[in-house]
Amino acid sequence: MLRYVIRRIIYLIPLFFGILIIVFVASRIAGNPVQLMTVQNPHITAEARQRLTEYYGLDKPLYHQFFIYLAELFQGDLGNSYALRGGIAVTTLIGDYAWLTFELQLAALFLSLLIAIPVGIISAKKQYSKLDVTVTTTSLLGTCIPVFYMGIIAIIIFAYFLGWFPAGGAHSILPERYPFGSYVLDELWHMALPTAVLTFATLAPVVLLVRSSMLEVLRQDYILAARASGLSERSVIYKHALRNALIPVVTYVGLYFGAMLAGAPVTETVFNWPGVGRLFVEATTKLDFPVIMGITVFITIMTLIANLITDIAYGYIDPRIRFE
Amino acid sequence: MLMAPKEILKIENLTTHFYTWAGVVKAVDGVSLEVKEGETLGLVGESGSGKSVTALSILRIVPRPGRIIDGKIIYKGENLLEKTESEMEKIRGKEIAYIFQDPATSLNPVFSVADQLIEVIRRHQNVTKEEALEKAIELFRLVEIADPEIKIWSYPHQLSGGMKQRMAIARALSCQPSLLLADEPTTNLDVTIQAQILELMKNLKKKLGMSMILITHDMGVVAGVADRISVMYAGRICESAGTKTIFYNPLHPYTRALLEAVPNIAMKREKLKIIPGAIPNLVSPPSGCRFHPRCDFAGPACVSAVPPLVEIEPEHYVACVRAKEFSGKLPSRS
Repeated sequence: MLRYVIRRIIYLIPLFFGILIIVFVASRIAGNPVQLMTVQNPHITAEARQRLTEYYGLDKPLYHQFFIYLAELFQGDLGNSYALRGGIAVTTLIGDYAWLTFELQLAALFLSLLIAIPVGIISAKKQYSKLDVTVTTTSLLGTCIPVFYMGIIAIIIFAYFLGWFPAGGAHSILPERYPFGSYVLDELWHMALPTAVLTFATLAPVVLLVRSSMLEVLRQDYILAARASGLSERSVIYKHALRNALIPVVTYVGLYFGAMLAGAPVTETVFNWPGVGRLFVEATTKLDFPVIMGITVFITIMTLIANLITDIAYGYIDPRIRFE
Repeated sequence: MLMAPKEILKIENLTTHFYTWAGVVKAVDGVSLEVKEGETLGLVGESGSGKSVTALSILRIVPRPGRIIDGKIIYKGENLLEKTESEMEKIRGKEIAYIFQDPATSLNPVFSVADQLIEVIRRHQNVTKEEALEKAIELFRLVEIADPEIKIWSYPHQLSGGMKQRMAIARALSCQPSLLLADEPTTNLDVTIQAQILELMKNLKKKLGMSMILITHDMGVVAGVADRISVMYAGRICESAGTKTIFYNPLHPYTRALLEAVPNIAMKREKLKIIPGAIPNLVSPPSGCRFHPRCDFAGPACVSAVPPLVEIEPEHYVACVRAKEFSGKLPSRS
């Protein structure tokens, strides 16, 4: 087991560097941040621009810049932002935003699994019933409607017309507006809409996956054999069938989990949620190289960890893929 | 003279249909058969003749979209079709057990064999986990598995086909059932393993005093194991008799054709006789006798009316209008 994990981590090293190189080069192709910083200043001189370029080290050849970045990376230094909060350290910046992303994403994932698994099972058990048709149609809609659209509609209905939830942000600006004066409740109140939208978007494909996987498993001989042994319907469905049906769901959630930790750029932007996803969008539009690279490093490491966890979880669910 | 043994299972006019998009598949259409106490009944027929569906109907676990729509299944004097689902759960595995054709798919891949056996044992017997494990190991000895204490913790994928089938048999026998439904238990095994498994089942049946329905399409298998044979064709029984009678005095043309299709070591490079045509589409089966389109002796009477299963000789039932003509000497097939 330990050997397997170590081997996996060794495999991940070249992958990690590959990703770093691609993002490093791609972001630098996208444009010149000094140009972007100074474009609104009519009095800027070419000399001042040159000084800024040298200050950020952007005058050096690309490979030189990359090695400087690597050297700093190994010292745990992700650099300082070009454009945000007066050149704040990227590590601090990500630390501030990551927690809110985790909160939102974990809530959405937890809720969607909590709903999707039982709904998918019931839908499969009653294939072609009215309930099943309703569930599959709704899930298909949920899969098809883009998240930003769903988010905007939710804001219009629940924030604008009904006024039940705030339209964006993670906290009220004035502490007087906190419900019952509680900071935590205020955050939950702000979380409600983005969580609901994200849950629905996450839920839909999982329902369809659980349903089809369950239908497949219910056709197997071992389910018939379990029934023929007189096991109760509950044990047949929730023990014998579910354990098998969950294998593809674990794959899906594992893949999703990696992407999830990167934040949901679209949802976070629509709801103005100060998470990693929105930060990434902001950094990209401002060509804030250190932040782009920092988030890339963060996402990559998180994804790799998530994949590792998925692999290990596999072994627990399916003995056929247990690693010796 | 000994008293004739009582029947443990009597099926009357069992009708199981599948409601598919393509139409109603009449997979089992008026099947009647009986199994006497301590007896092995061989249920023989081509693939798709409704043997498995008949067996699944006995336990009432016909998969969707199949439904039992008519008939009686009298087990120990009680009609199983009138039982509630929870009463059936107490019969399945405890009174009547099932062995499936493919041991590779009939054991759940994600649970160890011990877990699966213990669950079945504890479902029907009031014992602790430890006692159940002991019983399971005992069962493994019964089905002649070496090192049962170690092997029992294996997962199905770690075992060979023959081993898996032994385990499936152990599961079926775990609660000493009175009736065992064995659905082609040796079809997916190597020939040498087949013989071992058949021998094992024969011994176990004797040891535990069970009755058995052995489903197979292999005449060689039933010849060695069955006391009586019922031949099925296209969802109906066409002939039922003692094993010897079926082999030496078959009266239904289908039974005869089936026997002629068995390769024989004494044959001198003759071509094997085949039954022309294929089993009919059971959405719209042929009228009258369902075998008439493939039968060499079919006449107008065969097309118009369904031949009933009649007792031609004592204990020899045939569903063929011309059966009497064939009695004694058989016209040979050209």
